[in-house]
Amino acid sequence: MARKMLADGELSQTNKEESRYDFDLFVIGAGSGGVRAARFSANYGAKVGICELPFHPISSEVIGGVGGTCVIRGCVPKKILVYGATFGGEIEDARNYGWEVNEKLDFNWKKLLQKKTNEINRLNEIYKRLLSNAGVKLLEGEGKIVGPNGVEVTQLDGTKLSYSAKHILIATGSRAHRLPIPGQELAITSDEALSLDELPKRAVVFGGGYIAVEFASIWKGLGATVDLFYRKELPLRGFDDEMRAVVAKNLEGRGINLHPQTNLRELIKTDCGIKVVTDHGDELIADAVLFATGRLPNSKRLNLEAVGVELDKTGAVKVDEYSRTNIPSIWAVGDVTNRMNLTPVALMEGTCFSKTVFGGESSKPDYSNIPCAVFSIPPLSVVGLSEEQAIEQANGDVLIFTSTFNPMKNTISGRQERTIMKLVVDEETDKVLGASMCGPDAPEIMQGIAVALKCGATKAQFDSTVGIHPSAAEEFVTMRTVSRRVTACGKPKSNPE
Amino acid sequence: MVSTCLTAPKLSAPTLQTLCRNLPLTLPSSTLYSFSRLLSPSTSRFRHHHVPLQRRCLFSTRSKSGNDAEPLRDYDFDLFTIGAGSGGVRASRFAANFGASVAVCELPFSTISSETTGGVGGTCVLRGCVPKKLMVYASKYSHEFHESNGFGWKYDTKPKHDWSTLVANKNAELQRLTGIYKNILNNAGVTLIEGRGKIVDPHTVDVDGKLYTARHILISVGGRPFIPEIPGSEYAIDSDAALDLSTKPEKVAIVGGGYIALEFAGIFNGLKSEVHVFIRQKKVLRGFDEEIRDFVGDQMSLRGIEFHTEEAPQAIVKSADGSLSLTTNKGTVEGFSHIMFATGRRPNTKNLGLESVGVKTNKNGAIEVDEYSRTTVPSIWAVGDVTDRINLTPVALMEGGALAKTLFQNEPTKPDYRAIPSAVFSQPPIGQVGLTEEQAIKEHGDIDVYTANFRPLKATLSGLPDRVFMKLIVCARTNKVLGLHMCGEDSAEIVQGFAVAVKAGLTKVDFDATVGIHPTSAEEFVTMRTPTRKIRQSPAAEGKMGVEANAAGV
Repeated sequence: MARKMLADGELSQTNKEESRYDFDLFVIGAGSGGVRAARFSANYGAKVGICELPFHPISSEVIGGVGGTCVIRGCVPKKILVYGATFGGEIEDARNYGWEVNEKLDFNWKKLLQKKTNEINRLNEIYKRLLSNAGVKLLEGEGKIVGPNGVEVTQLDGTKLSYSAKHILIATGSRAHRLPIPGQELAITSDEALSLDELPKRAVVFGGGYIAVEFASIWKGLGATVDLFYRKELPLRGFDDEMRAVVAKNLEGRGINLHPQTNLRELIKTDCGIKVVTDHGDELIADAVLFATGRLPNSKRLNLEAVGVELDKTGAVKVDEYSRTNIPSIWAVGDVTNRMNLTPVALMEGTCFSKTVFGGESSKPDYSNIPCAVFSIPPLSVVGLSEEQAIEQANGDVLIFTSTFNPMKNTISGRQERTIMKLVVDEETDKVLGASMCGPDAPEIMQGIAVALKCGATKAQFDSTVGIHPSAAEEFVTMRTVSRRVTACGKPKSNPE
Repeated sequence: MVSTCLTAPKLSAPTLQTLCRNLPLTLPSSTLYSFSRLLSPSTSRFRHHHVPLQRRCLFSTRSKSGNDAEPLRDYDFDLFTIGAGSGGVRASRFAANFGASVAVCELPFSTISSETTGGVGGTCVLRGCVPKKLMVYASKYSHEFHESNGFGWKYDTKPKHDWSTLVANKNAELQRLTGIYKNILNNAGVTLIEGRGKIVDPHTVDVDGKLYTARHILISVGGRPFIPEIPGSEYAIDSDAALDLSTKPEKVAIVGGGYIALEFAGIFNGLKSEVHVFIRQKKVLRGFDEEIRDFVGDQMSLRGIEFHTEEAPQAIVKSADGSLSLTTNKGTVEGFSHIMFATGRRPNTKNLGLESVGVKTNKNGAIEVDEYSRTTVPSIWAVGDVTDRINLTPVALMEGGALAKTLFQNEPTKPDYRAIPSAVFSQPPIGQVGLTEEQAIKEHGDIDVYTANFRPLKATLSGLPDRVFMKLIVCARTNKVLGLHMCGEDSAEIVQGFAVAVKAGLTKVDFDATVGIHPTSAEEFVTMRTPTRKIRQSPAAEGKMGVEANAAGV
């Protein structure tokens, strides 16, 4: 990603008439959304300042770092650990392909962690360079809003700098949140989990969202015993139910102990580890307990109440379709607005903001058919509507095409894990409303499918596309027979299964 | 899924396994098709695609009569297919599903094809896509072990590969698949005849002395590797043999620069052979996008494969110690345990009786067909590699499916050859759809080219020199994406979805409107904002784009 941004190179500053503000734009927070908005605005000729907290892998009220969650504490380090963990399964699979590998494998967590940290540091530097190449002034310190056009940056040594800006953009992101149960201070969040000194031998993960299943997969793949606790019957609420069930089955198949419909009640420090007590009264001992129980917007210390920027009840900054807050000169993008908390969405919001404010082209982010991925092992990826959403929203009948198969690689490796793919089609218009897949390479496969969905591709257009053989992806263009039809009122009309 | 399998199993291992599981349920439908044949001897007026299963089951008790010739018929079969590979099986099954009575003949199973051996499943399943991909999976692990070092994994002793385990497991899988194929035909009510088919007259096929008459004859006998005659060429092996070697080749020469040569180079290199590739041209993969050709050659060299360019083979000599030497126009390289020729494939059109019945072949021996796959003899048709159109399994499937519709569903259907995606399972692999840059310039003149050449996240950690190259070719006038090319990990999987978009005629704006999936390699294709170059017929706008492009990209 950093590389992409580098490609833009230097900007040509077209100076407008002398402004009465220090900056045309001041951005608080140099994460995905903030950096994008700052750079693009600068490229449009705006004079831009941006502030960010000092760098550290673990975030807090006073710690952050240029690059933000995605680069330092999210997508990138997570994916690196997923890569590392995937090798665990790969090495097992290699044996039936004729590879003689030691029974006992040595995995060096410290080495992986060091290399991850090096990579994060490298990216952090690249981001700083991106900003300076774009002519954006970067200030290290905590930003506060002191008026509709005023910001104050408290630097590391305590000195305060005040700036005026025609527009202020809040892009401070969000932070992992711990549930208030007794002993919660013994638990860690995803920030710490990405930077643990030692790999836990016995890990407990609490939460059913994507962060929870990703870390469960990472630790399991690296050799830990993992127990995953979540409140619902299935993990990944909001995703297609059939996919959720497959993910659960695969996690279990890879050796993760699932505890559905279970809450954690208390954590107790003992000599042999952290004692975890569930609401069923069960107890187990763990070396690490991860709370992946949600994230909250970083809106508290921005002094928003002073200027009257409205927040919703979760603390997210309220914005209109153009990312404008109720104060006309103050805008917000990314996780702090809690719309759709994904890096590429923050990028889109940042881009649209720049276009709207400095590019002379009002543009709204478009939230339809945004693809996303869960990097569990194996991963899940979806775009468009789930079966449940489609049934709820469609006017006519909904046709469901599914394919469940044993991937070719498994025919020799012997791994018992099926891949599932699904297309949800509006019968009346033949439009593909949703696509989902759980299996190896799902996120890579889904990107192209997302282009097709974004543009309203029909099932007929999928069918007319020739497959790439032999691939898993070709299943998406060879699903010829309906698995089931669901009527608009939500009841299956016929179900051949 | 069950119902999907009734009509649409595709010719790949994944689905086949699902099929196998579901076989009991497929029976009612095939008996229905038998029943419908009684009603409508030659062409079914009914479309069974969407008949609910419940209805199908009602019929199932009534008809057990299957493939016996019926009194109303002039012919033994509505369709007689010669060759049970991808195209033949697809056409036969679909024809049977549309109500036709169908027979297919195929040579006895062997991993090595010849005039007298073949096997149900054909090249794809027995000597092509499937075994090749299994070997690719096996060979990729050595790279993965390498990568994993960078992620903290350590091996006390270096992983060693045992060739015989791989070959045994691979062959067991092929046996399983050929069995499944037979079941598929059987379940569709197609009569399978083992033996060599030869056309006697426009409506008669001779299989090892027994004559069968048919309203239509389909030739789908595929192609076979071809080794040019040079001194010592008898010591060379082809891809059939290369997929079934009993021991690991220590040092192998691969002659050829096409996709088969590159795939085997990757396989042998990954399985720790010393690999030399000899190509006539300056670059590998003639016909592919020039930048892809350069890129894949570089990446493969970095993985240890030695390319000998502009070298044509002239002779092979076997020395006293049994090792082979290859002489080319540039010199001699000695000490090969194996020399593999991947120098093209030829249609299997010899001894089919084509000349006598008047089926025309072109100078390569490929059967000439019209847009509906009809030969010069109106009752004889041909699909797949034997017609040498685009020699890919999914294309043979498309041709076979189209033919069944044309003949037995009153729906004349031409295969559509536009925007057919394909992959090369080299290491790293290539995926592509649509036009190359060179073709696009020729056909459309003004184009914008977007490229990305980057080190993927995995490589920054592994420390290996792996890179990814991606390319979008856009029509400057219509904004349509004309071509999409990629070389790098997961290319084949990544390109499939984009192929839907390219086939649907989507524009660069549509690509740009799509949000990325982060972090993936594939997201590059929707985040290419600045053209690398704009190519214009008018000299004024020609050449590399600098500042101008940047301004346009923001």
